Amino acid sequence: MKQDAFVARHRAEWDAFERWLDTRGDSARRARTTRDAGAIPDSEIPARYRRLTQQLALAARRGYSTQVTARLQALMQRGHAVLYRTPAPRWRRVAAFFLGGFPRLVREEWRCMLAAAIMLYVPGILVFAAIQIDPDLSSAIFPPEMLAQFESMYDPADAARKLGRDSGTDIAMFGFYIFNNISIAFKTFASGALAAIGSIFVLLQNGLIIGGVAGHLQAVGRGDPFWRFVCGHSAFELTAIVIAGGAGLQIGLRMLAPGQQRRIDALIEAGRRGALLSAGVFAMLVIAAFLEAFWSSIGWMPAAVKYSVAAMLWSLVGLWLWRGGRGLLPGELEGPQA
Amino acid sequence: MLLDTHHDVVTPEGVALHLPVAGPVPRALAWAIDFAIRVAVLLALSMVLGLLGGAGAGVMMVVAFLLYWFYPVACEVLLDGRSPGKRALGLRVIAADGAPIGWRASFTRNLLRVVDMLPFGYAFGLVACLADPAARRLGDMVAGTLVVHLLPETSSDAAPVVVPHPPRVPLQPAEQAAIVDFAERAPALTVARRDELADLAAPLVQARGSRAAEALYAIAAWLLGRRL
Repeated sequence: MKQDAFVARHRAEWDAFERWLDTRGDSARRARTTRDAGAIPDSEIPARYRRLTQQLALAARRGYSTQVTARLQALMQRGHAVLYRTPAPRWRRVAAFFLGGFPRLVREEWRCMLAAAIMLYVPGILVFAAIQIDPDLSSAIFPPEMLAQFESMYDPADAARKLGRDSGTDIAMFGFYIFNNISIAFKTFASGALAAIGSIFVLLQNGLIIGGVAGHLQAVGRGDPFWRFVCGHSAFELTAIVIAGGAGLQIGLRMLAPGQQRRIDALIEAGRRGALLSAGVFAMLVIAAFLEAFWSSIGWMPAAVKYSVAAMLWSLVGLWLWRGGRGLLPGELEGPQA
Repeated sequence: MLLDTHHDVVTPEGVALHLPVAGPVPRALAWAIDFAIRVAVLLALSMVLGLLGGAGAGVMMVVAFLLYWFYPVACEVLLDGRSPGKRALGLRVIAADGAPIGWRASFTRNLLRVVDMLPFGYAFGLVACLADPAARRLGDMVAGTLVVHLLPETSSDAAPVVVPHPPRVPLQPAEQAAIVDFAERAPALTVARRDELADLAAPLVQARGSRAAEALYAIAAWLLGRRL
């Protein structure tokens, strides 16, 4: 068929499809409010779109001019964007992810999570123990002015003061924790894409610093206010660091050893998992920042209350990660099991 | 074509989407515009929040955090893949299969900016971008996304209406397409350029200059199926 005849035969169809895209295709919100009686019904769009792709293939094959193929190409691209767009997140699905999908994902990557936990806790505990044996070691890790600052932050002589801080109100510290801690967690995950080196480095470094600070304060007799400060929010914070590190390790591992997948496919899968894990880490660290800013810093609270709340929070996190998502989540079809 | 910066994606319907991928320069410019916007917002807010003391500083940090990590994500998902900077440069972020980008993919590609920024000034991302045929930085690879140029709407000018004339020799499909393309685009060119291009077909139409162009128009009209 000659090009002009082809165009003449199908032009009306293309124009109708374009009109539908203009009125209803671009924004879901506009589509809900407009009722265009003259347009094609929505249910017909997939069929119309397939016809269009067929016509484009024909046009390309028959060597029709760029004008025609470009128009069809543009229409097809817009149609493709409408038909294959990611569905908007539903609040129920989001909630189900945080309650169930996220713990399930953490358990699926348990090897990486275990490795990350070892990298964080083992150096920390070793440094802590070493400083108990030889307190002078802490000055090998931190400069003296930093040590003095740590000590003043947990000064038990000043009961009215907030624990764990030099200056700043609760809200200021909340902002600081959000910015600082979550940025570190995101970087811990993302730097795992450098063959896992970045994540390993951040985990070891954090383990050493946390162990060093705790060890020093314990050794100089400021242990009590320090533990009272950290015991609560650490349930969320330390666990989130481990999960962020584990998410980084899995992306690094998939990059180094993609197995039977193409490397790019392995990376995309790792990126998908990593992003979901990071979203969970984000939520955990927001909770941790709330606790750290508004609960952990209360200086007058008796140690017994602090420790029992902390025990509750730790078991809550543990239970959530252990049992969460064992059943079916909303949005999941009943499996094939009979 | 070796030098072509198009990336073809085959859709479920078996037709190739022809996506013009964007190289590092327009992307860097778009990033610079977005960066300026973020800094401006932060500065403007700091003047207001600075009056509130400690609480203001806290809110400020939260805003800085959101601007740093979530400004690109929100722009890409809510503004149809186009942050203000990308809009200015005519770019758009899409999923690698040509569909609009979703929350998770956008979050992934922006998280991995951390790596693309290494060791300084997006050097890592630049190298990846230059090495990859689809000009993706690492974040794009992991998230499965592409940055493409938005093509300007082409006004579909028809070939000039002239008396059709068959070509003297049978033409290959590619040759036919080239002649029809010429006829559709030549009216928008300057006369000198049009005649220069028409000269290339001198052996076919046995004429030069504007006579050659006229002859090509006639062949194009014939190829398009117009008959007297």
